[in-house]
Amino acid sequence: MDPVTLAVVRGALEQIADEMDLHLIHAAISPIISETNDCAHGIFDAETGETIAQGRFGLPVFLANMQFTVQNLIEHVRGHGGFQPGDTWILNDPYRCGTHLQDVVLIAPHFVDGELFALLASTGHWMDIGGSVPGGWAPQAQDIHTEGMLIPPVKLYDGGKLNEGLVAMFTTNVRLPSQIEGDLFAMANVFTVGRRGLDALINRYGRETLSACVREMIDRSETQMRSYIEEIPDGTYHYEDFLDNDGIEDKPIKVKLALTVDGSSMHFDFTGSDPAAKGPLNLARSTTQSTCFIALKHIFADVPVNGGAFRPTTFTIPDGSIISAAYPSPVSGYLEPIGRVFDVVIGALAQAIPERTPAPAFGTVGVVTVGGRQPETGSYFVAVFPYPGGYGGHFRGDGLVNGTPPVSMANFMSIEMSEHRYPLQFDEFAIREDSGGAGKYRGGCGTQYRFRARSECVVSALGDRMDHVPFGIAGGKGAAPSRVRLELGGKDVALPMRSKFEKQKLLKEDTLSAASPGGGGFGNPLERDTDAIERDLNLGYISPKSARETYGAVVTETALKSGRKRYKVDRAATDALRARSEQLARAS
Amino acid sequence: MVRQEHACILLRNFIRRTARNRQEAEENVALVGIDVGGTFTDLFYSTDGINADRICKVPSTPHDPSDGLVNALVTAEVPKNDLELILHGTTIATNALIERQGARTALVTTKGFRDVLELGRRDRPHFYGLTGLQDPLIPRDRRFEVTERLNHTGEVLVDLDEVEVRRVGEAIKEEDVEAVVISLLHSYANPEHEQRIAAILAEIGPDWEIVTSSSVIREYYEFERTSTAAVQAYLQPLITRYSHNLLSRLKDWGFERQTLVMQSNGGLVPAPQLPSRAAHVVRSGPAAGVTAAARIAAEAGFDRAITGDMGGTSFDVAVVIDGEPEISPSTNLDFRVPLRLSMINVHTIGAGGGSIAWVDRGGILQVGPKSAKARPGPVCFGHGGTEPTVTDANLVLSRINAEDPIGLTNLKRLDVEGARAAMKRLGDKIGLGIEDTAEAILAVVNQNMAGRTRLLSIERGYDPRDFALVIFGGAGPLHGAAIVREVGIKTMLVPPSPGVLCAMGCVVADLRYDISRTVARATASLDAGELAQMLDEQEQEGAEKIRSQSVSVKSIATRHFAEMAYVGQIHTLRVPIEHGWDAERISQAFEEAYRHEYGNTLGDIPSTVVSLRTVVEGVREHKQRDLPVPKEIPAPEPVATRQVHFGRWHDTAIHDRATLEPGMIVQGPAIIEQADTTTVIEPNMTARVDAYGNLLVELV
Repeated sequence: MDPVTLAVVRGALEQIADEMDLHLIHAAISPIISETNDCAHGIFDAETGETIAQGRFGLPVFLANMQFTVQNLIEHVRGHGGFQPGDTWILNDPYRCGTHLQDVVLIAPHFVDGELFALLASTGHWMDIGGSVPGGWAPQAQDIHTEGMLIPPVKLYDGGKLNEGLVAMFTTNVRLPSQIEGDLFAMANVFTVGRRGLDALINRYGRETLSACVREMIDRSETQMRSYIEEIPDGTYHYEDFLDNDGIEDKPIKVKLALTVDGSSMHFDFTGSDPAAKGPLNLARSTTQSTCFIALKHIFADVPVNGGAFRPTTFTIPDGSIISAAYPSPVSGYLEPIGRVFDVVIGALAQAIPERTPAPAFGTVGVVTVGGRQPETGSYFVAVFPYPGGYGGHFRGDGLVNGTPPVSMANFMSIEMSEHRYPLQFDEFAIREDSGGAGKYRGGCGTQYRFRARSECVVSALGDRMDHVPFGIAGGKGAAPSRVRLELGGKDVALPMRSKFEKQKLLKEDTLSAASPGGGGFGNPLERDTDAIERDLNLGYISPKSARETYGAVVTETALKSGRKRYKVDRAATDALRARSEQLARAS
Repeated sequence: MVRQEHACILLRNFIRRTARNRQEAEENVALVGIDVGGTFTDLFYSTDGINADRICKVPSTPHDPSDGLVNALVTAEVPKNDLELILHGTTIATNALIERQGARTALVTTKGFRDVLELGRRDRPHFYGLTGLQDPLIPRDRRFEVTERLNHTGEVLVDLDEVEVRRVGEAIKEEDVEAVVISLLHSYANPEHEQRIAAILAEIGPDWEIVTSSSVIREYYEFERTSTAAVQAYLQPLITRYSHNLLSRLKDWGFERQTLVMQSNGGLVPAPQLPSRAAHVVRSGPAAGVTAAARIAAEAGFDRAITGDMGGTSFDVAVVIDGEPEISPSTNLDFRVPLRLSMINVHTIGAGGGSIAWVDRGGILQVGPKSAKARPGPVCFGHGGTEPTVTDANLVLSRINAEDPIGLTNLKRLDVEGARAAMKRLGDKIGLGIEDTAEAILAVVNQNMAGRTRLLSIERGYDPRDFALVIFGGAGPLHGAAIVREVGIKTMLVPPSPGVLCAMGCVVADLRYDISRTVARATASLDAGELAQMLDEQEQEGAEKIRSQSVSVKSIATRHFAEMAYVGQIHTLRVPIEHGWDAERISQAFEEAYRHEYGNTLGDIPSTVVSLRTVVEGVREHKQRDLPVPKEIPAPEPVATRQVHFGRWHDTAIHDRATLEPGMIVQGPAIIEQADTTTVIEPNMTARVDAYGNLLVELV
């Protein structure tokens, strides 16, 4: 293979996928796509469904999951007349697509001289999908039908002809018909961009050369992935972690991993994970796999995103478990088990390569959804606020404050823009002090916010990590647990599932407060640099109590004229105190 | 980003004088444009406001940039008596920000929201990788809160607690700050609380530079507005000192007439106004380059141009439509430091002369974004670089002259053997010979640049074949031919002085103010009178700013735009509108713009006007050149011939740019050398010198 052509073709294919991402991000109506990039695009092998290229602007959660969705569709279409020119298929069946009903996937074949050359796919998050809860996050759903409209693989366009009945079905069954219709057609238009790019490449290099390049570049990615895995010491690494509950039954749910590294191959064995949840915290098998890749990609960021990178890994995911969701299990809370799958991979890798593995991030997406009618116009609104939280400390430094979940790139809404759009008023959006896990390198702080209703609405929350906090690694401590409070008529409301509740009615002036965990700590907090502790105290990232009790620091405080406090950490006294407590620890 | 242009294709300190008709020159106003970059300070002196009489390049002096500036004036022997205007671009603001060398600043916000500046909008520094931190311009212990609250219409929900404001003022005093930012929720809708706090704090700290967010931008999005105001306050004391120092240095040198400074929006601002415009000059240099390129392209008859500036570490590309550079409403200066001000939309990728070629673990050749920078630099500089760069590839292929290294003050010749050895080490990994490896490096870096260029044009709904590529920067003209070939652009334009184009950009620019405010209402709800009044207010504000200065302008030009979207959309489209239009006419204009951008409209979904924007320009007296197309004449004898590699070794004519006159035609393959750059004319391409001295290069 001519190395110049190979390099140029790979760059060109990645660019086509990027262009598809950008096109939808700019054209979509829903803020969740246009502002938080909740979408993904790719080009796939028409026979094997392997990823040829995936856009770099879409969300990581769709990283490998797009490939599995395409492979599932290829299987289905084989029995339904095969792909024909002008077809566009649509589906959101989460057992085939891997996430939740809101993520709708369009897949279109690309033909060259009458022959099928590749498949193009577009995934976009719809702001509403019908179902019992506006927005689709249904904390008390016990089956998929409660969560919304299930779309099996069907043709949206059949030989270029739009199935208008299907569009009417969608728009009639969602709360935001014009938004959804706008997003649907924006997604369908993306394929024009993909086709134009592929045709230009075929004109330039010819079909044969292009196909050969694609095969070669997927093989090369496999080589690259294997070279990284070879750097991880061989062995089997175990880790387990828990979800607090599934929103229906108040008992913890286990996710268990045995990760085996053998030369340049990896095996992820989830045997021992708990059975499917009654509530909506189930995760489809393909997204369990995808999440493992995302964790690897965060650690080995240079690996290209195509099918070759996925080849060196194998999986055992027990049927009927919480991480291989099957009909009719509800899945709308899938972001929570994703967090746990991500963190057990981190927990296992931290044993093998602690110098490359950061402690876990806040680990819960804690989606708060507010729905109701605009007081002025009477039209429906749906507002979605996902948690921002802290990132874990790592071998070289402290964790980030207010990160986005590792599987996402989604932003938090602007407060002012939210107050423009929704009848809500925010009282606070702040750093949550003392919420990062202590360590030689501290976890970043989580955040806290509170809003009040300006008119009647309903609010739902789907979070986790109250009972089982983000853990520390290499001697670091866990972070603060998450917290959600509802104040109705000035009184705290008891929330039996704590972080999960559905459609609580808020009247004017009722409030919701949410506080997210920070990231886990890295390394022993007694080894933390005293200057860093002093800075953390003065910035209010940690409390004097933590400085003394967790970090073993000797703290003095002085009050300024204004009454504000300034802290000093006495280095010599701290060293002496830490040495004494170490001696005591050894003696006992 | 800190500008580190020409890190590899460095220029010797040089002065070039252009012989022109003195008599003609004397009727005109003499001007000097000076661009102070990270590495070099470039000067462009013109006695008629467009033609170069002298250009010069001297090292920048980061400890006090005015040293280098005055040094350039002295080196070029600019006659100060006839000099009317000094026009100036600077990287001082960008550098201070990136290196966090700005003022010690405090922030006052609405109670509950002091952390907004640090929290941002929930993100991370890199798409993949979970490490990295932000470094807020104002740390948490200098951020204060006061009790007050407005809603989104500007209505007061909670009165301002002035007693508390005074307490906060006393606390700020303990922090020994130079500047204070006041940023309250919804202040864009009602700035009164911010203004009241500013007044109280001015009594407590009369030396503080106080900045209210609503005075910097009248737009919603609290994080972006607070950050923009923080950038302004963080830079204001520094820029104030700089501006005073600069004017006094120029006075010492003997110049007391007007000095204007280039802003990121491509317009000039008088130096005395600079302090209040500190946040507006962060992209001064790149904006100047695009402005010059736009002017040159328009004059040469190209109303659509893509401008490409390739230096040592990066390739900056921008789009110009009908002579107007495309404007972006915001940019990120650093992780979680957004700046929401109008600026020329310059896209940067890590592709420059110093970009390093490497083979990834899958065995695929990659170029950049890692750069050898100025030190150690490319292998051929002999400063200890071992990894092959784009410059080494150009040398191995003999595209650049080893015996006459451009811009290396301490080097007689480039190390060809070293570059070839590095090329061989790389080539062995991918099974290519030395020259083929060098060609492969150029193929990859050219594709990276062509890809970005394509993305800019096609994705904005334009056909790249309708554009000319104006290529400049030390390394640009080496690669422009390949970029036009890849993208399918018909013409590459190489201006007469591509190495000092940013300095020229200062000379040809106009005064400019962008004024905007958030409206955030359904288009249908706006009546024509209300719209006209808002536009009038903005127009008057801009015109007032221009009139209040003693800069002579020929006329004031005003343009209005509406930032619009379909209800629910986040991304807006900038739609040109006219004073007097009603809602229906504006909706229609939006639909046309939307169809152009996305190929269709969204039917019956209503639109909103998110904000109204007015651009007010003080148009300076510019010399209009309208020269006839010159008669074709043969090229002069080449100054030399050497073997240059284009797929294979070709006997290639080497021309001196100074010998090329309007109408001359040069057939490729050819190399055209000049003091500030080298231009490659590929085989099957022809270069023609137009009436203005530009090289126009096209495929045969």
